[in-house]
Amino acid sequence: MSSTKKISIIGAGQSGAFAANEIRKHDKESTITIFSDENYLPYERPPLSKDSIIGKKKYEDLSFFSNDFYNSENIQIENKAVAKVDFKTKSILTIDSKTQTYDSLLITTGSKNKKLNFGNDNEDLNNNILYLRDIEDSKKIKKAIDSFNSFVIIGGGFIGLEIASSIARLGKVVNVIEMGSQLMSRIIPKKIASIVLDYHKKNGNSIFLNSNIISARKLNTGYKIELHNNNIIEADFIIAGIGSFANVDLFENTSLKLENGILTDEYCRTSERDVFAAGDVANFFHPIYDKQIRLESYQHAQNHGIVAAKNILGHKIPYKKIPWMWSDQFDLNLQLVGVCDDFDQEIQRGNNVKEGIINFFLKNKKIMGACGIGLAGKVGRDIRLAGKIAESNIEVEMEELQNIEFKLNKLLKNNS
Amino acid sequence: MSENNENWLEVSEESGIEVEDILRFDHNNKTYCIYKLEDGFFATDGFCTHEDVHLEDGLVIDDEIECPMHQGTFNVKTGKAISPPACEDLKTYPVKVDNGKILIKI
Repeated sequence: MSSTKKISIIGAGQSGAFAANEIRKHDKESTITIFSDENYLPYERPPLSKDSIIGKKKYEDLSFFSNDFYNSENIQIENKAVAKVDFKTKSILTIDSKTQTYDSLLITTGSKNKKLNFGNDNEDLNNNILYLRDIEDSKKIKKAIDSFNSFVIIGGGFIGLEIASSIARLGKVVNVIEMGSQLMSRIIPKKIASIVLDYHKKNGNSIFLNSNIISARKLNTGYKIELHNNNIIEADFIIAGIGSFANVDLFENTSLKLENGILTDEYCRTSERDVFAAGDVANFFHPIYDKQIRLESYQHAQNHGIVAAKNILGHKIPYKKIPWMWSDQFDLNLQLVGVCDDFDQEIQRGNNVKEGIINFFLKNKKIMGACGIGLAGKVGRDIRLAGKIAESNIEVEMEELQNIEFKLNKLLKNNS
Repeated sequence: MSENNENWLEVSEESGIEVEDILRFDHNNKTYCIYKLEDGFFATDGFCTHEDVHLEDGLVIDDEIECPMHQGTFNVKTGKAISPPACEDLKTYPVKVDNGKILIKI
């Protein structure tokens, strides 16, 4: 039996919502309060760059759980921002100057966008660039793409490319500007990135790699961007997806230890007593990789929140999931599991996107990571199995991974 | 105990189908999945309820099917959505093996 206590969650994203759900599953007594600085119930974000901006999925259908759920489970949602947390008195001050105390606190404030700055004399331009983080941002982008025809997307990462594919699907003009020599360079292997590049081009998008912006101006209607390689792009709107920071604004200059997010151990515990952190905001110790890592992905946010919830309830469960994420662009589904930058052998399985192509990254014959791309869910099963094989620390043979007739689940069965 | 045979449709031969294998079956513009688990065959609708992706490319783990696109999971026997992004349950269908053939009742 759990004793009654006050559990507060700051941040109403995936991590916070699923943590609350998990706590309530096992503890019917404690009070649970989620503080949200948005006016929505916790909702899923992947559709914001895809189905929602092309009108295929309504914004009101994005909630993880219904209002009835929160009522019946007695989970309080406070739609007001937190102004301050006092770790000594274990209290939370909200912007309406009200204070609530907590016994346990979970911080799931997610991440926030990096912003472009084209100079102080360019405020009009700076303020009109669109970014994507939440429903309001997505609605602004939707409004722009419903009414205008040409777009510049700054940043060739997941968000930029997903928006680019959504806009292209509506038959509009998209130019993507990327500083690096490949798309999604932070984590996606070059071979897979080049397949994505070709797919965007085939679908009409212009992609400018190795491109630095030397000037950007707001015109009477639209914008003009000049690149260092003399390319000039004009468009009706600029959308930027240039990465994000952990959202730790509330905790700057507090005793909470920060370093690329909130530092936690593998049990989601922060430097402060009874304070946990999970999801994008946490820079957590990963026992398998033996280092601190911070991840920004759907599945991670959810699973990390669930483990944090269990530990808040008194368990001591280490979070050691192998990272997994996806991106949907046009009719392609890209998936990545593990890490793909630490390997001594690279093995390809499959040779066309219709059936799926996966690149496995091995070290000492063990899978460190795998990245694949294919129509709809064609790479999903093998990527998932690659993660399970990596977790099981099983040695694999090149011939088995290369042979598409060989079922990878046999590797797990043979080992069990 | 005899069942009315007219509603049962043949999916395939049973031989050669291994545990955790998934068969796709298309009929009358609809698509279905038949799963072989340790304790027999089970069937559900073929498309994930979250997005139109076929579960034949998914992974069977114990009694659950995991969608290959976003890893939503469903219980194969009951159709219940277990893990998001799946939230709507899958429809299930009776399956039996008769004379070495897998049959589904739609």
